[in-house]
Amino acid sequence: MIALAIAQQTVREALRRRVMWIFLICGLFLISLGPVFGFLSPRDSQTVLRSLGLAAILLAGLFITIVTCIYLIPVEIERRTIYTVLSKPVQRYQFVLGKFLGGFATVFVNIALMGIVFLFMIWIQEHKVPTEMFQGVIMTFFQMMLLAALTIFFSTFATPVVNFFLSFGIFLVGNLSTVTESLTTNRNGVVRIVGNVVHYLLPNFGNFNIQNSIIHPTTEIANQNVYVAQNVIYAVVYSAVLLILAILIFDRREV
Amino acid sequence: MAAAISIQGLTKKYVGLQRDEVVAVNNLNLDVQEGEIFGFLGRNGAGKTTTIKMLLGLVFPTAGDATLLGKPMGDSSVKQELAYLPEETYFYDSMSGWDILDFYGRLFKIPEPERSRRVKICLEKVRLQPEAWKRNIRGYSKGMRQRVGIAQALINDPKLLFLDEPTSGLDPIAHSELREIVASLKDEGKTVFLSSHQLADVELICSRVAIIHRGKLLTTGTIKDLTAGGRIEIVAEGTQLVNGTLAKLQAIIPDTHEEANHIVRLITEDNNRISAAIDAIRAASGNIISIVPIKKSLEDVFVETVRKEEGL
Repeated sequence: MIALAIAQQTVREALRRRVMWIFLICGLFLISLGPVFGFLSPRDSQTVLRSLGLAAILLAGLFITIVTCIYLIPVEIERRTIYTVLSKPVQRYQFVLGKFLGGFATVFVNIALMGIVFLFMIWIQEHKVPTEMFQGVIMTFFQMMLLAALTIFFSTFATPVVNFFLSFGIFLVGNLSTVTESLTTNRNGVVRIVGNVVHYLLPNFGNFNIQNSIIHPTTEIANQNVYVAQNVIYAVVYSAVLLILAILIFDRREV
Repeated sequence: MAAAISIQGLTKKYVGLQRDEVVAVNNLNLDVQEGEIFGFLGRNGAGKTTTIKMLLGLVFPTAGDATLLGKPMGDSSVKQELAYLPEETYFYDSMSGWDILDFYGRLFKIPEPERSRRVKICLEKVRLQPEAWKRNIRGYSKGMRQRVGIAQALINDPKLLFLDEPTSGLDPIAHSELREIVASLKDEGKTVFLSSHQLADVELICSRVAIIHRGKLLTTGTIKDLTAGGRIEIVAEGTQLVNGTLAKLQAIIPDTHEEANHIVRLITEDNNRISAAIDAIRAASGNIISIVPIKKSLEDVFVETVRKEEGL
């Protein structure tokens, strides 16, 4: 109940951030441009709408997640609102959990909104909503959940600026899983060790990008549902580990 | 009477960037009794806020220990009975005064409709105008924010309150009203640990005080004891006093001054000289108008104590 109260208050504060609304509006605008670009390229109109829509949700979701989550804990410390909260019978784990849930709910609402508009555009153009498109939105959502957990983890000890570069950098590296995977078999021992660390320790954001297989159906994934489920479990478990680490660090932090 | 706060050897050291050590609180030992308003005094940076933050578990002590309401410092169950008003009260800007109290009420797991009832009682107690209750806090004056700050500290009907500068920066009316509210907490049987620079307020409402300087406890005691003693002032009247006896009186009490209308004022800290001075006044046919002990103000005590420690 305490974590939920903190989460609700966090959503309320997060929704006041104008920059988040700007990214949401940009995302919705790009999605709505899908049919226009489709008309310019009639042969690939379906591909254009799908790829542009998913890319818009991913990009807007990425920035919304980062700008929402990097400030959640530092702002509480900087503005000293944390004093009155932690002097109440609030455990530090409840505070971190509440902040994560609040950030997560904010990201969920944004991605859901963009997802609904995106699926509606597809329905208008194709008169149906393919399951893969729905799965694409779900995967983006869980990718952002993992990013939110990563950002909350960094915010327990890093400043917002450092957090931005760390989270954004790891997101980029994590998206290059094919590259990092190739490093694990490199002949050079040092490169191989670094490759292993990067590939297996950092969150693998690349696996959530199933746009390629959706947009290009020739790319084969043995079982799409199993693949989605595996990645959802991966996101949940990895996020839980990050949150536990965040709680352990925050528990020892003086405010 | 049991101790609401018992501090034993509480110490907080910070290590700077160049590995230099700053002792914010140095081996502090202090007891605060239940039901008293205890003034915790010190200059800026004396270690007052650090002490409060350690007691509330916001920062961790380097050494020492403390109990609050008989439970170890850091025990989460004791927080049900505590309240804290930080020096600078910041709130979530998206909320109204009512929403803020409701939020803090939820952190205490107070169910509805009890929570709404308590929010209303607390806002009434701090005399926030009802038309402002549901208004966004961004439009509140400093006095209104401070009232909400005290109200949030009362939402759980606490036994022990830590108030850090509750009346600083307020206009005289708000200042006086909030001081009355803090004073009224004692009548409700609550213990108040009041950190303040407003020494006149502390003198009015606190029963005991402690003075801390550079993290070290300099003195502690009741206001009465700390401000007692000092000097005695004798005021006498008589034509012969100013004409012939003044020099004789000055020999007995050096701090003797002639004033208008044949009035002589004598001030001494030495009680043994008083009888001799009175005899001399009577011998010169003078009338004694008053003999009054001059109490030191708490400010005098504070300044003297701190200057003595600084070797000034």
